[in-house]
Amino acid sequence: MSSARTAERLARILAMVPWVIANPGATVDEVCRRFGYTRGDLVKDLDLVFVCGLPGYGPGDLMEAYLDGDEVVIDMADYFRRPLALTGVEALTLLASGMAILSAGTADGALASGVAKLAAALLPDPGVIDVGLPELPELGMLRTAAGNGAVVRIEYMAISSGKVTERDIEPWRVFSAQGNWYVSAHCRLAGGERIFRVDRIRRASVTGDRFTPPAVAPAAEVRYTPGADDVVVRLALGPGAAWVAEYYPVRELERTTESLIIEFAASDPATIARLLLRLGDQAELLEGEDAALVRSAVAALRDRILARYR
Amino acid sequence: MQRVIERILNLLAFLLTVGRPVTADEIRHTVAGYDRDTDEAFRRTFERDKDLLRGLGVPLRMDFTDRWQVEQGYIVRPDEYGLPDPGLTDDERAALWLATGMARLGGEAAGPGGILKLGGGALPPSADPLSADLGTDAEMLGSLFGAIVERRRIGFRYHDHRRGVAPLGLVHRMGHWYLVGEVRGETRTYRVDRITELEVGSDRDAFTPPAGFRASDGFPDAPWEAGQEDVAAVVRFTPAVAWWARRQLPADTSIADQADGSLVAHIHVASTAAFIGWLIGFEDGALLEGPVSLRRQFIAHLRSGI
Repeated sequence: MSSARTAERLARILAMVPWVIANPGATVDEVCRRFGYTRGDLVKDLDLVFVCGLPGYGPGDLMEAYLDGDEVVIDMADYFRRPLALTGVEALTLLASGMAILSAGTADGALASGVAKLAAALLPDPGVIDVGLPELPELGMLRTAAGNGAVVRIEYMAISSGKVTERDIEPWRVFSAQGNWYVSAHCRLAGGERIFRVDRIRRASVTGDRFTPPAVAPAAEVRYTPGADDVVVRLALGPGAAWVAEYYPVRELERTTESLIIEFAASDPATIARLLLRLGDQAELLEGEDAALVRSAVAALRDRILARYR
Repeated sequence: MQRVIERILNLLAFLLTVGRPVTADEIRHTVAGYDRDTDEAFRRTFERDKDLLRGLGVPLRMDFTDRWQVEQGYIVRPDEYGLPDPGLTDDERAALWLATGMARLGGEAAGPGGILKLGGGALPPSADPLSADLGTDAEMLGSLFGAIVERRRIGFRYHDHRRGVAPLGLVHRMGHWYLVGEVRGETRTYRVDRITELEVGSDRDAFTPPAGFRASDGFPDAPWEAGQEDVAAVVRFTPAVAWWARRQLPADTSIADQADGSLVAHIHVASTAAFIGWLIGFEDGALLEGPVSLRRQFIAHLRSGI
């Protein structure tokens, strides 16, 4: 006997009983729909409730639970008239999920009022939980387009080059990871799957074209797939640059008391150059095959920025 | 399974109605389902049943059975057991269920447990294309949430030190969960994924949170707002990157659009190091116009690396 299945069945009984008590005259269909029962499973659980109750366990001590025609009847079970309190994980999951989807700005009014009521019932102060994902104007339209297979034209600023290109995409999924919103899509310009950061989309509009979504959309996650032409360098990070190892998908090579040595790969040396300029004296570029390439990219970028200060 | 569920329903009905702490021995001889067990079998069965109840969220607690405090017994207080009715409509329940299916906490979408307790609802339709990843450690967050709601003090290990904190709130920002807590009258923030060895105090209402507390207060809207410095920076962004800058600047930043499409922003900076890092991301699309001291710092930083 699996205790997980026992717990699941018990949880459903302890949720169903109070609801039936609070809603006299409830039909079998309604109870089945709400609690995910088949008629047969509901009858089994009612039969079980019927033989339970208070010490003495005589007819006057046991609960009453049965079907009266099409109606579910539960009586003599006053102690189970209220549903069981939510666990910490259940309560937080409901609130945090609701707040996260709300903060994306694409939800309807029912979610907003539902979260507000839940917060009022569960929290001592409404402000103790706060979930903020970036609110971006394109999220709603991308979600709709992914839902009904509409091709979207975007102006997108590439992370590596900073250049804005126009491209048509077939959006599959819109998702947040590490606090940023992404859209995974088939990119018609690149002719393959791409993941775009939604905040880097300058403009988006539906083209009127349709596409058939893939039967199974790839998992909603940010992946870095190393390419054969990638630039790979080794960096020694000081304490002020340690965040790089958490933020980017890097390989940690060695950790000493003063520094952390990582391997950093990117499709474009400009990405690494920008990072190195940003880190200043907190990062050191170690010798290696691609070090010279990156060093000249750093020098070029530095000169380009400093030119504006002359 | 049938017998286990019967026994636990009987146990729970008894604990909810008896109105006083009862010993394991009394339970064994009163509640149907335990009577035929040997001592050892009873102990094992009862342990399992207690775990099951606690796993479901039943507030099964220990208390003294008499005022001489000789013996302890089990008690479930009906007011703690029951879920306060939030008064949700069917539409609101459906929207919440849909939202929990779209967000992942602990790596996967939540089960139906919470929604069933709230009165169930029709299963949401097929998967929504939108989803949000809210981090990994649901158990830790659930425990912190419980301590915040019940105002229990907590202790934990953080950066190799043991901390004692009055937990006030939880905030999710930039991909991380933060615990906001109070230590000797000062508000502190801790990253939840760095908290280990959590212990939750046994006393409810062990502290009083500051009046009108909001966990998001004092939380930076941008990385350069977290710090102790106080600098008023003026930055000019070229027309090509103006939209990208506008998107990242906090809502209360004063922004002046120029006739040529460029943008001049007056930005309050509390961490110059974080601000300089952000500015470099614009490459030559941003010009730091002032103050002079920050310009010098910016140029020195650019020259400091390799």
